[in-house]
This record gives sequence, structure tokens and C-alpha cells, in this order.
Amino acid sequence: MTSTPGIRRTPRTARRPRTPRSRTRPPRALAALAVLSALALLLSGCSGDASGSSGGKVTLTFAWWGNDDRHKRTNEAVDLFEKRHPNVTVRTSFASYESYVQKLATQAAGGDLPDVAQLDYRQISQYAGSDTLRDLGPYVKSGALRTGAFDKELLSTGAYEGTQYALPMGSGTTGFAYDAAVFEKAGVDPPKPGWTWQEWADAGRAVSDLGLKGPNGKPYTGHTDMGVHEDAFEMWLRSRGKQLYASEDELGFTARDLARFWSFTDKLRREGVVSQAKDTSQISGAVESGPMGRKLAATDFTWDAPFLGYPPLLGDSVHFAPVPTTGGKAGQYIKPTMLLGVGANSEHPKEAAELVDFLLNDPAAGDILGVTRGVPPNQEIAERVSKDLKGPEKELYDFGKKVIRYGVDPPPKAPPRGDVVLQVSFSRVYQQVVYERQSPAEAAEEYVAEAERELR
Amino acid sequence: MTTAAAPHDTGTGTGTGPGTGAGHDGPARTGGRARARTRARRLARHAGALAVLLVLLYPLVWLLATSLKPAEEVVTSLRLLPGRLEWSNYSTAMEGVSGVPVSRLLTNSLLISLGSVLGNVLSCALAAYAFARLRFRMRGVMFAFMVATMMLPHHAVLIPQYIIFNQLGMVDTYWPLILPKFLATEAFFVFLIVQFMRGLPRELDEAARIDGCGPFRIFWSVVLPLTRPALITTAIFTFIWTWNDFFTQLIYLFDPEKFTITLALRNFVDQSSTSAFGPMFAMSVVSLLPIVLFFFAFQRYLVQGMATSGLKG
Amino acid sequence: MTAQAPPPAAAAERPAPARDRAAPGRRRPVRRERQGPAYIFLSPWILGVVLLTLAPMAVSLYLSFTDYNLFDPPKWVGLRNYAEMFTEDPRYWRSVGTTLLYVVVAVPLKLALALGVALLLNSMRTGKGFYRSAFYAPSLLGASMSIALVWRALFNDGGTVDELLSGVGINTGGWVADPDLAVFVVVLLTVWQFGAPMVIFLAGLQQIPTDVYEAAALDGAGRWRQFVSVTLPMLSPVLFFNLVLETIQSFQVFTPAFAISAGKGGPADSTNFYTLYLYERGFSASHMGYASAMAWVLLLAIGAVTVVLFRTSRSWVFYANEEG
Repeated sequence: MTSTPGIRRTPRTARRPRTPRSRTRPPRALAALAVLSALALLLSGCSGDASGSSGGKVTLTFAWWGNDDRHKRTNEAVDLFEKRHPNVTVRTSFASYESYVQKLATQAAGGDLPDVAQLDYRQISQYAGSDTLRDLGPYVKSGALRTGAFDKELLSTGAYEGTQYALPMGSGTTGFAYDAAVFEKAGVDPPKPGWTWQEWADAGRAVSDLGLKGPNGKPYTGHTDMGVHEDAFEMWLRSRGKQLYASEDELGFTARDLARFWSFTDKLRREGVVSQAKDTSQISGAVESGPMGRKLAATDFTWDAPFLGYPPLLGDSVHFAPVPTTGGKAGQYIKPTMLLGVGANSEHPKEAAELVDFLLNDPAAGDILGVTRGVPPNQEIAERVSKDLKGPEKELYDFGKKVIRYGVDPPPKAPPRGDVVLQVSFSRVYQQVVYERQSPAEAAEEYVAEAERELR
Repeated sequence: MTTAAAPHDTGTGTGTGPGTGAGHDGPARTGGRARARTRARRLARHAGALAVLLVLLYPLVWLLATSLKPAEEVVTSLRLLPGRLEWSNYSTAMEGVSGVPVSRLLTNSLLISLGSVLGNVLSCALAAYAFARLRFRMRGVMFAFMVATMMLPHHAVLIPQYIIFNQLGMVDTYWPLILPKFLATEAFFVFLIVQFMRGLPRELDEAARIDGCGPFRIFWSVVLPLTRPALITTAIFTFIWTWNDFFTQLIYLFDPEKFTITLALRNFVDQSSTSAFGPMFAMSVVSLLPIVLFFFAFQRYLVQGMATSGLKG
Repeated sequence: MTAQAPPPAAAAERPAPARDRAAPGRRRPVRRERQGPAYIFLSPWILGVVLLTLAPMAVSLYLSFTDYNLFDPPKWVGLRNYAEMFTEDPRYWRSVGTTLLYVVVAVPLKLALALGVALLLNSMRTGKGFYRSAFYAPSLLGASMSIALVWRALFNDGGTVDELLSGVGINTGGWVADPDLAVFVVVLLTVWQFGAPMVIFLAGLQQIPTDVYEAAALDGAGRWRQFVSVTLPMLSPVLFFNLVLETIQSFQVFTPAFAISAGKGGPADSTNFYTLYLYERGFSASHMGYASAMAWVLLLAIGAVTVVLFRTSRSWVFYANEEG
């Protein structure tokens, strides 16, 4: 291993773990050796390595991230697939987003991506660019993967430099979760498509002026501070005619743009209109830990899928509002919530493609999966699934249709490789602003410098 | 070491003024008052020690108490002790994290810890015997190197090790956690056992050699049994450190089924909703139990044995 | 090496090689022994050193001059990682600052407390064993995720410490969410584990012969005088041992910082310890080359600090059996 540790795939024979062995040993040490090898057996029993086929039997690996609900539904769909394809066994594994992303990266590095892997939009460039995903084009062409009922723009989000590497599993969009009851109390009209960032800020002021208190007697503010969200910045940017990335290695905005965005949110923070530093810094992605989830703010910038976490937590008065506009220009777009790809080294690409096709296009699978990954990309399935939706899920579905009706831009190209990292940096750098360690301009400079290093 | 000699001339004698007899332990003080004073002092010492103890134990008591508190009490009351014992926290905790029951997590932790113990004791004892008892070329250099690696931050080797294990397809298995232990990578324990073995009388080996034993027999039948205290110490510390270890597990394990109890607890790190405190700390208590048991079972070895045997060298 | 205070062992040991060199003289002249057996005993260790220490160190040195993301083959970039680290990355310096602050505060505090309590216990006639064990317990538990979570809860907004402080009119709103205070939660957690060095001190104290004190007392030395002139010098090897050990470990602290900041090193990078940042760069951001460069700087820094400590030790550490 002293040579360059590149991505060369290790032959399977090299896999067998080595145990320390010396050539001669005292007789009693044999006992120790026995224990050792027993342990070795035990351990290798735990190491997952089963994609081989025996006697016409095919084993596929399929991995995704998500919550328990998605886990349950997906396993159920996989069971159905196995029933229909008796010669195929699917080994599933799922994890939380963070560890999933990390594990996938190491698997990819070892040339060992699962046969079928769920991917984030941000990962497409990374994986496709490193040749760890299989070109799905031939399967689409042959009809093994049916994409006829897919929205063309959504479908293109799985392409990288003209090659289809992944298929979207669902579509979703951004918006604001807001507590309509609080808005009403503050005398604010329910948000309508086309409302502006100014109106958004005013709504927050009106709510903060109510002087409500959250648990522990903390002041209840109008909005969650959205300065931590790269996505929110993207919406704001797009509503001003710019975008996050101009190309694979170039930002689509300047430090001045970012400074303006952060000044906007920072000023609101100083006024007490958005959540305070200590609460903002606890935003972790789980709705429970954010200011709105902790009953300290009336709105939260979010995606439609996580939005579903709010009504059970805060009650039925929580609704989903469109992203504000700049003078009527919306930044909102329909994004793939996640995508499905096939590992480049999959030994059973045909079966893998069958599984992908089944999950995306089979009506029965659609019924099982529902909207656990956003609105299904196959519009016929989406239509079919929508009939059974109720409550917030129904609201989201209708919201998606409404947003489309009001006009959305086509989604940008898949974000460049560095974006996975930059998304996290974005909120971290902003913490320097809310804790008043840097001015918005200084923080913006720091972020842009980091982004340029990340993209080069 | 032999500390019998006087301290290396630090001017103990230089600055000592004349006024003899000012010492508190002066011999001829009139009886009762002095005795009362020493008793008061003794009590004060105990009071001091108890005060320290109280602060030290507070977090542990708090942990126990919180693990039994009902959700509503965690938030509302500053009172340490729960008003009502919420045992269900424990049953909730036992259900585990992301569908993996705690029993499984504990088994995983145990497997890794025991594997590490076996590896460390075996490989470190072997190496230590060579360093302590056998003569070979470059022994001095190798020994010095071994001592130096005790100070090596493991980050320096972390990334290549990770890459190696990844290339071997061993990431997300227990191999990267256990295999290094079989290669005596924890130099600290080698050193510890060397120090201990050096203290054993050489005459024993000589006698065995005269009886015709080779180095392997001597190692296995003579030296190893006598080294037991050091081996036990190695075993205990390996167990506890491995059990507590977080970093290596964080890097190498991904599959919730393979998680250790420590990694599972990590999922609570994001958690700031106090409503989940009860079960979360119940699980913490469960995860600490093996260490506590070890501590009570072996505290004599742990504290006393270690300190003195280590110091004597 | 794993985290956590390892037990004493080496305390006060003269550098071992010197001892070794001296040793053969005392023994019988070396018979020509077969070297084979020795190497068999050493084989696991040698294998470990070569495969898991030396080779990885070389590889990590090489990687530190490359751009390597696990996916694509390493790309040689010369000194760019180092240049970026030292001149372009403000977060790097923040992590250095945090770590140094932590080391400089936590190590002396921990050692002072350990020494103080060891002195207290050493002067007690009864209950010594009990206290010693009890004080040692936190050192065994303290490195665990569980205890780190406890500290996070105690120092969080509305946690015990916060409530107690606001009871006396100090409103912190929780140390964990305060960039000026968060690092001290880790400091206090470290200091809480003073038991390990204390046990070593205690053992050292017990080895100071009483007649030295008697002599000092006869010379009219008071309590403080005795402490300064007898105890400290006699204890200096142990103190030195503890100092080196704790310092080296403190540079590598990870778990508590991870737990207290939910793995993010926040708020506002205030608990982004060196190791945490290294982990993030290498494993979350897949910049293995950069992380390797960070690791090498850490290695050199720890080496430098150790050398400095050893250098200064010549003027204040006294070995009873010093031969020169």
C-alpha cells in the first residue's frame, strides 16, 4: 500500500483479512490461535459482502437514507419486487443522511457502490464525474427503464454532461412552513404566490410585535433565521436573476450578493424579527430542534418533505407557503428530492435496472411508497397516489401543482462536487454573523473564498 | 525507581532559617489542646475530601436521576431527584435506535471490546517478552522507537489506515477496530508489560533454561503466569478504552446493525428536545454499566496495582 | 494511542534506551543467542509497526502534498495544502486557537487539582483508599459519549448550571450555545477527570521517604517550605510525566467536543478543536490530502511541545538516582 492508494478496485481475493501469524509457535499457543480464528469467523460473518450469484440466483444490494416510515415502505416495496422476481434477492440497508453520505463515499472509493443507491442531487456530479455510476442510457433506450411519463426537466436532473446517470425518485420544492393561527392573530394575510421578501419581513415584524412568549419565557419571533440555509439563499438569489453556480467551478454570485442577503437577515435578527443566535445555531435539520419546532418562531424555510414533520408537532394550523419573490420574480423551482443510480461495478445491472424501474413505474410499488420521497416522478403514478392523500400531504401535492401553475424556472444543473461541503459551510459561516463575530460582509468574503477553493 | 536517596540538591538546606521548633508537629506540646487540634484538622480534611467528592459525583447522580425522570419533570423542575420513578424510560431505551435493539448494540460493543482485549494482551505480551528478556540486534533502537510511538497522535496514521482498510473492503466491518490490536499497535501496553517483566527475577528464566526450556516454554509457563497483574491491567484498560472509544467507530462503522452502543448514543447528540431526555439517559446508564462493573470488580488492580507497579518499573 | 489518561507506568522512568545500554554490562557476557525466537515474539509488533505505523506515516506524508478525495487518484499539489492551511483558511487558525486555549487552561487546572487532592489524601490516615477509588472513577467514565451528553445537558440552556447561575443573577443562556463559554464545558469535563493524574501523584508522594521531611522539619522548614523544598522536587519526575501525558492527550481531544457541539464544532466554530476540524476536512468533506497535512502539522507540533517540555525539564525535574 505504499504505492498510490488510488481507486483501483481490489480483486476479491485480496479481501481476505489477514491475521497475525508467526511461523513457529509453542503448542499451547495453538489454543490462542484457535480462539483467534474463531473470532475471525465471527467477524467475517459481520462483514457484508454478498453480491455474488449462485445457481441463477441474483443478489442485489440497495441502499437509501431516510426515516423509519420510508424504511418500512421501501422494504415493503422490495418484498413485492422479490415476489415478482423469484430469482432475485435484494439486500437492503438504510441509514441517516449523514452516515449514508459518508458510507457511500467510502464504498465508491473502494469501487463497491451498492447495485442500486439512492442519491442526493448534490452527489450526482461527484459520482457521475468519478465514473462510479453506470450510464443508464442504454436501459432507457431499450425500454427496460421507462421514463415516458416523467417530466422532461425533472428527468434531466439525473444527467451529467449529457449522460443519464440517475433517475429522480420524486420531486419537491421549497417553501415556508408557517403557523396560520399566529399570522391571523398578528393581522397578517395568508401568504399568496407572488408575495415579496419585503412582505415576508413585514409579516415577521407583525408577529414579533405581538410580544408572544415561547416555552421558558423566551420571546416568540416572526421567522426562523433563514440565513443559515444555502437553499434559502439560492431562492433569494434566483429571484434576483442570479444563481448559486455559474459552472462546475465557478460561483454564480459575488461576495456582495451574499453580504446583501446576510445583511438582510442580520438586520431582522437585530430587530428581533427572526430567531436569536442561540436558537438559530441549534438548527440541525430535524424539525424538533429548530426555532419553529421549539415554538419560538412562526415560520421556517423548509422543503416540502420535512414540512410534514410540523403539523404533528404544532397542530393543524401549520401550512405551507410559497417562497417570496423579488418584485414578482420567483426563485422557486421543482427539484428532485432524491435520485436512484446503479453502481458502475454492479454485476447485475439488468436486474438493478429492473428494480429501479419497478420502484419508479410500477403502480403497486407506487401505492406502497406513496409520497415518502416527494411527488412521484412518473406523472401517472403521481396522479394515482394523489387520490388517497389527506391533510398536509394533500396540501403539499396541491401546492406543487399550484407552484407549477404560477410558473417555475427549470431546475439548475446538478450542483458541482463541492456543494455537499459548501452547504454545511454556509450555515457555519453565518454563525459568525449571528454571534456578531464578523460583519455580514466579512463573513461573505470568507464564504466566497472557501467556495472558490472548494470548486477549483 | 529507587527514591531512597535525597532529592537532587535543590537547596533544601540552603534557605532554612534558624527558628527551630516552630514546626506544628513539634514533639512536646501540651496534651489535650494539640490532640483536639489534630482531630479538628483531620475532620477538616475529610470535609474537604467529601466536598470534592460531592461535586465529582453530582453529574453521575444527575445522570441516574434523569434516567428515571418522567418527561414533564425534566423540563420543569430543577430538583435533582425524580418525583416519580419513570421506569418505562428504560424499556423505551432498550428498544434502541433506528430499529436496532440495545441488546444488539451491547453485543456489538462487547464483541469489539473483547476482541481488542484478546488482541492486546496476546500481542503486547509477546512483544514485551522479547524486549524485556531476549537479546537481539537493534533492540535498543526498536525499544526507543516503540516508546516514541506512544506519543504518536493516531491522526498521523489515521487516513492511510482508513484508505488501506477501505481498499481491503473492511470498512463497515469490525476488522479495522480489532485487527490493529493483534499487531501490538498500542505501544503503551507493551511498555507497561515490559516494565513489569523487568521486575521479575531473572533467576527463574535461568532455572527454566537449565531445565531445558526454550524461550517459548519460558514465556508461556514461567514469565506469563507471573506477569498476570500487568496482563490484567492491560485487559481492563483495553476493555474500558475500547468500550468508550468513539472516534474509530465513528469513522469505520456505518450500518446501524453494526453500531456500538457509543455510536448509537451519538444519534442523540443532535437531540435538544428535553422530552427525550429520560430514555436517552437511561440508555447512557446502560452503556456505562459494563465500565462500572469492571471498576468495582477490579478497582484494586486499577488504582493501586497500576500506580505502584508502574512507578516501580 | 487511545484517548484518556493511561495509567502511570513510565512515571519517572529514565529514558529507557539509556538504561538498556547500561544493562548488558551488569549481566553475564552475551552468549551467542539465536535471534530467531526474539523475532518470532516480535513479529506481530513488527508487522504492526510496518503496516500500521511506518507505512501509513509515509503515505500520509505523501498524501499531504496531494489533493485526494477518495474517488479520484491523488493529484500532486506540492505545498498547496500547507499554504492553504497557514495563509488562506481562517477556520484552521480558529481551530488552532481553540485547541491551544483548551490545552493551556485545562492541563494546568487538571494537574493542580490532581496534586492538591493527592496532597490532601496523602495527609489522611483513614479513608484514603476509598477516596482514591472514588476520585478515580470519573477518569474511567469521562471519555464516554454518555458522560459527554450529560455535560452537554448540564451546561445547556435551562440545564442545571444555567439555572444555578441565573439563580445568582448571572444569565448565560446556556454555555453550550455561547461561543465564549462552550470551550470551557470541555475544559471542565477534562478537569473533572483529574483522578488519573491524582493516583499517579499519590503513588509518587508515598515514595517520598518520611525521613526527608523529618530532616527538613528539624531544619525548621514550615509546611509550605517543606512542600516547596521537599515535596515538589521529589515529585517533579511524576509531575513531569503527568504534564507530558496530559498535554499530548489534550491536543487530541475529540469525543467531548463532538458531543457538546453536536459534531459541528459550533457555535461559531468555538469548539472546533483541531481533531474535530481534521475529521471534518478528511471524512465529511473528503479532503484527505488536506487532512493529512493537518495530521502532520499536529504530529510535528506535539513533537515540538514534547521536546520543549523535555528541554525545560532539565532545569526543574530531579531524578533521585541521577548519575551525573
